[in-house]
Amino acid sequence: MAQEARGEFTGLLAARGVSRRDFLKYCGSVAAMLGMSEMYAPQIAAAVEKGATLQPALWMAHGLCTGCTESMAQVDSPDVPTVVLDLLSVNYWETVMAAAGKQAEENIKATVDKGGYVLIVEGSVMLGENGNVLRIGGRPGIDELKEVAAKAAAVIAVGSCAVDGGWVAGAPNIANATGVSKFLKDSGINVPVINLPTCPVNPEWVVAMLVDVLLMGELADGSILKKLDSEGRPKLIFGSTIHDNCPRRGHFENGEFVVFGSADHAAQEAAGWCLYQMGCKGPQTKTNCPLVRWNRRTSWCVEGGSPCIGCGTADPAKGGSGNWFDASAPFLSRLADVRLPGVGGVQPATIGAVVGGVAAVGLVAHGLGSAAKGRIKGVPTETEKVSDLKQKGGDK
Amino acid sequence: MARVEIDPVTRIEGHLRVEVEVDNGVVKDAWVSGGLYRGMETVLLGRAPADAFYVSQRICGVCPISHGHASTMGSEAAMGIKIPNNARIIRNLIEGAEALHSHILWFYTLTALDYVDVVSALSANIADTYALAAAAGTSTADFGAIQKRLKGFVEGGQLSIFTNGYWGHPAMKLPPELNLIAVAHYLEALEMQAEAAAMIAIMGGKFPHFMTSLPGGTVWIPTEEKLDDLYFRWQKVRNWIANAMIPDTIAIAKQYLDATTYGKGVGNYLAWGVYDTADFDPKKRVMPRGALVGGLTLSDPKPEAIKEYIDHAWYDSGDGLNPSVGETKAKFDAYSTDAKYSWVKAPRLDDKPMEVGPLSRMLVSYVAGVPGVVSLIDSTLAALGVPGKPEVLLSLLGRVGARNLETMFVADEMGKWIGELIEAIKSGDSKYFTDQTGEGEGAGLWEAPRGALGHWVGVKGGKISSYQVVTPSTWNMSPRDKNGVRGPLEEALVGTPIADATKPLEALRIVHSFDP
Repeated sequence: MAQEARGEFTGLLAARGVSRRDFLKYCGSVAAMLGMSEMYAPQIAAAVEKGATLQPALWMAHGLCTGCTESMAQVDSPDVPTVVLDLLSVNYWETVMAAAGKQAEENIKATVDKGGYVLIVEGSVMLGENGNVLRIGGRPGIDELKEVAAKAAAVIAVGSCAVDGGWVAGAPNIANATGVSKFLKDSGINVPVINLPTCPVNPEWVVAMLVDVLLMGELADGSILKKLDSEGRPKLIFGSTIHDNCPRRGHFENGEFVVFGSADHAAQEAAGWCLYQMGCKGPQTKTNCPLVRWNRRTSWCVEGGSPCIGCGTADPAKGGSGNWFDASAPFLSRLADVRLPGVGGVQPATIGAVVGGVAAVGLVAHGLGSAAKGRIKGVPTETEKVSDLKQKGGDK
Repeated sequence: MARVEIDPVTRIEGHLRVEVEVDNGVVKDAWVSGGLYRGMETVLLGRAPADAFYVSQRICGVCPISHGHASTMGSEAAMGIKIPNNARIIRNLIEGAEALHSHILWFYTLTALDYVDVVSALSANIADTYALAAAAGTSTADFGAIQKRLKGFVEGGQLSIFTNGYWGHPAMKLPPELNLIAVAHYLEALEMQAEAAAMIAIMGGKFPHFMTSLPGGTVWIPTEEKLDDLYFRWQKVRNWIANAMIPDTIAIAKQYLDATTYGKGVGNYLAWGVYDTADFDPKKRVMPRGALVGGLTLSDPKPEAIKEYIDHAWYDSGDGLNPSVGETKAKFDAYSTDAKYSWVKAPRLDDKPMEVGPLSRMLVSYVAGVPGVVSLIDSTLAALGVPGKPEVLLSLLGRVGARNLETMFVADEMGKWIGELIEAIKSGDSKYFTDQTGEGEGAGLWEAPRGALGHWVGVKGGKISSYQVVTPSTWNMSPRDKNGVRGPLEEALVGTPIADATKPLEALRIVHSFDP
């Protein structure tokens, strides 16, 4: 990197009241998020320093609840002011931007005209009523999306809605919602899309991707694509199941389960027992929630006492029908046929006995996606087991 | 006459378009259009009540707690469930934390930029800024460093989210020093809303979209460690509200006292009430149920008296239906302010448009004599030089101020609830969940930070048989009804002065005062 660029960047940081020490600390936290050793911090710092101008970005709102923007507001490493003042120039972000109406639309036009921006999309792509179920600036939202996506350097679809339609696409998908990558492909717009599911998106992943894509230069040299799985998701974040990394996993191995609504529920929960019998979708949901956690690492769903509801499950290629609501509900019903490879169908209450003290690896949930009875497709689930009745005192 | 369109309206949750007709610098007429239909009421049909608790929160990512609670309460009413006392207290605490989060975020991140000129803060004298903060009794920060950071940012030429704001607008009235104080607290507020959200995460797993208030009670079990964490965070947020947010509100309000003369709107106020007490009576909630129609006289609103009109909304369902038998069938034809122009239905109570939100709750609580509310409102009126005149609250400034005063009230109440929970646990009460099931129809009538919220739920054979939602923004952002009567925001816009029709800043203030 040119020495003058480094000097210019350091000056830029200093002008904003950020010391070089603070900056390196920040790069260390980014490295941790990316699953890298903090030894990479100087490398990240060097990548950031390459450009003294801020990376332009547009954050577009489609069929959304604004939960992903809300989620972004919770990030602290780096914090929000750093993201929007020192890392990116977010020229359009409806929920937080100063400009409105005509002035806001001018910001889009000026950014699109220059090109080279990152497009972040929150919310489902809304196709219903010829796209009129979402109107922005006096026209269907999808018309605007096509225009801004066509000239973007890369697209990041944040949250399950943007990835594949999310719950909005749940049966009967009455407003005809779909995900960004499918929509752009069907519209003949060829731009790399990174998919970050969960509902809402975990903000740490968004920041990690921004650094990965923009600052490490991995978009320009194409190396980012190798880090994504077939569904456009970063493998580091979405490569293993929640069950694999769950702090309650030991209780699963021991056959210690919270029995929902039983007299012992509170005591079992206080002891941190496994929520599998409450319907936890951790065995089929691939995110690193147990490691990254939520709200500045304060807690996460399972720590709160609720089973995982599989909000990170997505199937972008299906254009809505693979959405997490239909894939995981009813949320409080158990996955059927959770088993260990080579062992066959195993009753969870006896699983400890089957595997003993051996670390169980590669637990799989199979048979997913087959249609249940009725209108709504759901995950195959099982009814009450003999073990439940015993724990509940023989009756329900 | 000039038509002025604001589309998109920014710094809100969701998609909104506002059209106003301006004549001689004053708004003469207004049309408010909701831009998004997703179909939540339909997707929940045939699902389990617990699924509705989780998913209905996705109506609003800023107020998911309130939707989750209204859904769960609707299902519980339908199934005949009464939740344990511990669950009641915990739900109040989660709900209260969301109110703090939402109101802090609203005041500083969403609406402050309508009153605070960020660029003007660059010319603030630092010594004078400290003097002003001391005089206003608001907390200080390293104002010099903040101004330096802001200067570097502005000189960099890339204004990011501040690009094209209404800087230097004639309706911006704060001195540079007060602008700088507000910018400093804008940054602090981002920390504080996150602290409040972390309180929800402790009790609910995460925020937005929490996990624990399932029909029947709560699955979060408090431990000493978690209660300690909760208490510490509550104290930090509560003190910041008292020492920064409230003094800021008074200092800024004094510069905008003209905003008590317009923005009143329909003058009818509805609150379903929020924060249950031990007897679960909505009229005895910490902020009670009540309505004020055309004056400050309290009446009891009847849910049966609601009708939802679709004459100006893009639906093809029955007109004037009560939500308990409501329908939602989308049908777009064209946008026309003379015919249909919104995805929002027009709910009316006894055929009257009703304003909902913190102003409604605070007024109802004030008239009902809730002590903490009475003392907050009375002391604020005195500080603004209008003692004993609560009617000045029926205005733009009143709507803004009421939300911030409510933040203080709820924060103080939450301290009591934490104590109440600790006492309940100490007494040996270890019940958090009740394992009952039944079927029938019910309604969860509650409050989101932005106003009265209802989920009408039918449960049959363990599955949702009917589902209708009337959100606060359905009330406030409603289009005209069958009789051509404007919705609350439309009515509040009428009479608003507009200094520059190309930059309708004052209209945005009115819109944001409802926190859509």
